[in-house]
Amino acid sequence: MNYLLRGVWLAAALVSMLAPLSAQAQAPKGKLVLYTSQPERDATQTTTAFKQAYPGVEVEVFRSGTTEVMGKLAAEFAAGAPKADVLLIADAASMEALKKDGRLLAYPEAKVAGLAAGTYDADRTYFGSKLITTGIAVNTAAKNRPASWADLAKPENKGQIAMPSPLYSGAAAIMLGTMTARPDLGWTFFEKLKADEAVAVRGNGAVLTAVASGEKPYGVLVDFMAFNAKAKGSPIDFIFPAEGVPAVTEPVAMLKTAQNPAAARAFIDFILSDEGQKLALSMGYIPARASVGTPSWLPPGTVIKLMPTDIGNVVQNNSANLKRFSELFGN
Amino acid sequence: MADTAGWRERAEETALLWVLVAIVAILSLLPLARLLFEGVAPGGRFSTAALSSVLSSATTWTAAQHSLVTACGGTALAVLIGATVAVLVGLTDIRGRNAFVFCFVLPLMIAPQVVALAWLQLFGPSSTLLKMIGLAPAMGSRNPLYSAEGIVLLLGVQYAPLVFLTLRAGLRTLPQELLEAGLAAGAKPLTILRTIILPLMTPPLVAGIALCFVSCLGNFGIPAFLGIPGNYLVLPTLIYQRLAGLGPSVLSEVAVLSCLIGFIAVLGIFLQDLMLRRRDFRITTTSNAMRPFELARWRPAVEIALWILTIVVLVLPLVALLLSSLVPAAGVPLTVKSATWSNYDYVLFDHAAAKRAFINSFSLSATAAIVIVLVAVPLAYFLVWRRSRLLRVLNLVAEMPYALPGVVLAIAAILVFLKPLPVFGLTLYNTVWIILFGYLARFLVLGLRPVIGGYYQLDRTLEEAAQIAGARLLRRLATIILPLVAPMATAGALLVFLTAFNELTVSALLWSSGAETLGVVVFSFQQGGDSTYAAALAMLTVAVTIALMLSTLLTGKPARGVLPWRG
Repeated sequence: MNYLLRGVWLAAALVSMLAPLSAQAQAPKGKLVLYTSQPERDATQTTTAFKQAYPGVEVEVFRSGTTEVMGKLAAEFAAGAPKADVLLIADAASMEALKKDGRLLAYPEAKVAGLAAGTYDADRTYFGSKLITTGIAVNTAAKNRPASWADLAKPENKGQIAMPSPLYSGAAAIMLGTMTARPDLGWTFFEKLKADEAVAVRGNGAVLTAVASGEKPYGVLVDFMAFNAKAKGSPIDFIFPAEGVPAVTEPVAMLKTAQNPAAARAFIDFILSDEGQKLALSMGYIPARASVGTPSWLPPGTVIKLMPTDIGNVVQNNSANLKRFSELFGN
Repeated sequence: MADTAGWRERAEETALLWVLVAIVAILSLLPLARLLFEGVAPGGRFSTAALSSVLSSATTWTAAQHSLVTACGGTALAVLIGATVAVLVGLTDIRGRNAFVFCFVLPLMIAPQVVALAWLQLFGPSSTLLKMIGLAPAMGSRNPLYSAEGIVLLLGVQYAPLVFLTLRAGLRTLPQELLEAGLAAGAKPLTILRTIILPLMTPPLVAGIALCFVSCLGNFGIPAFLGIPGNYLVLPTLIYQRLAGLGPSVLSEVAVLSCLIGFIAVLGIFLQDLMLRRRDFRITTTSNAMRPFELARWRPAVEIALWILTIVVLVLPLVALLLSSLVPAAGVPLTVKSATWSNYDYVLFDHAAAKRAFINSFSLSATAAIVIVLVAVPLAYFLVWRRSRLLRVLNLVAEMPYALPGVVLAIAAILVFLKPLPVFGLTLYNTVWIILFGYLARFLVLGLRPVIGGYYQLDRTLEEAAQIAGARLLRRLATIILPLVAPMATAGALLVFLTAFNELTVSALLWSSGAETLGVVVFSFQQGGDSTYAAALAMLTVAVTIALMLSTLLTGKPARGVLPWRG
């Protein structure tokens, strides 16, 4: 499952063979309920663009951190009345967990041509929509520029580091699962961070605020947030550490219990379409469909060194990891 | 004839009582019972595993201790500030009273998370304000507010107006005759304060302390912003983190934690009840407005001190927040050139949810305030004048949803309303109605407490006279009691409105697309890293709140004591 090693799909230029969206036999209509972990502004843009492509569909959105979205879903499953039709959440591990519980509906006809193998589930229950890596963000006025994760954890950065809590963020949960499984980092890395009095804030958004405002000059942060803030003038830089970066794919999936399956499929189609991928690109993400290009902050052809993630392993160890993290960082 | 009338009276009274019992039961007992059921019998099977694992965990007791420390500290500070200000404003001849009261009550109407955000903008290396004047501490240096002291400070500042409001409403009913008697007997003002005013003000003071303690205990926004980064967890933040991080699989554990915090709250309320039951504090409220004590040569000093308090508590944090809302992106230094309205543009014109949130929050809060007062006035009648074991239990039950952290009530509400209602077939989940339910359940006590305080000060002879004259209960409530408790009821309604308008913890889990509240949208922005949008929307919320308050000052002259921000 270490598909992320094959990150070269960023460089590959494949021609999209998507059929135009208007070729849909019957236009889906009615209400579509989306649960997502996208930042507020991105979620709004995504649904607005989707509604333009499918004017018959009304979209209702619930937005929160991946873990809270999963919590809300679990509460709804427990009560036997899940409301969501379609999910767009940070990581494949959460999707794997849902798939294991038999909550996801396969969509064998999804247009996966042009997507790198491994970015979507072989059983076609969930589909990676983009690549979001987690690296080191630094305030431009910071003293050091840590070139690696090991540099970041050095005592000289004591009291200066913020990171997203995996108890809130799906991307951070994958980061935790990926890094603790590595011999060169492992739990020692997080224990060093703890010794450096690093704080685990709720989400990546809070890390961005802390780093950009100088409250904490160093942060563990997702790429697009750092670059989007930089583009708006924030004093922030993003570093791809030498050891590599953990990454998530922000997969989209529909639930078996979806009340509007036609609209849910349309939403998956839209996210994976050229139009949807270009939208992701315009928001500063690396799109899953390599043919639509790369964001301006990533020169074309750049190969990002991705850390391999064993999704099965992450799913299996997730609650133990979260518990240990929670004990270590007290949240 | 007399028998029939007596029977009718009793039937009406019994019917009203049971209607009230039913309302409180549905608002408080039903969701909490559902949650408790989940706690002792996860998935329907009895088990004490959750109970023992929670109660044997050191984290639980650390958080409980932190909760007690911050709640007591916050209450003490709030009482210190609130009572001092109430005495100075209510009893002395300071000038500019209206303007001062207006400013002093304002922090209460601002959401705790906005208060925390504003204060964090004021201190620490990220402060736009400090950066502007070149005083920002070095990057990464610790913000002093990330500590127990920081939490106590902000809780005290946030809830001092609660003590002030309840106490000042009480001071208005102070019998002039007693004070004049004291003065005539040659007592100095401080002696009068100690021997006459303070004893008479025990009910509102104790009510204010209880309200404040329960508010501090259940506050989520302040310990979430200030405690989590410093790893200083209180029970509500512990519960929230467990629930948010590990999902409803820990619902049973969380239910036990909720019981613990509920137990602490009940202890506080029980103490209040005990203190008030020992004595009779009734006052007739017929006396004229009191002549203020003259501060003479101390007056300018007192006035300056009060205004410095206002500047520190209100103006500086809001200025810090305002400056942060004017920068184009987080961390950009604010200069004449970099200042921009684009954040306001976005939340006002480009973001549909923010517009909807204004309408939703306003209608939800107004509805909640009106309904709660309509329930609180007859309910307090029974609670104060018809003491019985059932009613004491009812009082405690009504307190529970407010004493518990909002996130617990939210999960309980989800469990109750997820499926369509049995008889009506309606689904409240994913509508605004589930949020309204949450508000009614959670804020009932906010409206109820001041009304109860009001009843304690009423002389019952008027009501008894009306009863002898043949007026039945509903009529007495409407024509005799309501006008008498109106100032307190309005204060209660206002507390409900203001708290609900800026509320976050309940709606954070209950909102859905189209049913956003202001708190949710601000929080979403902040969580997503759009802190400049969050600051802009928070400033707009504050501006609307202030505008509403000002507009009530312009529309005629309401009865004295009805609007707490009026001098």
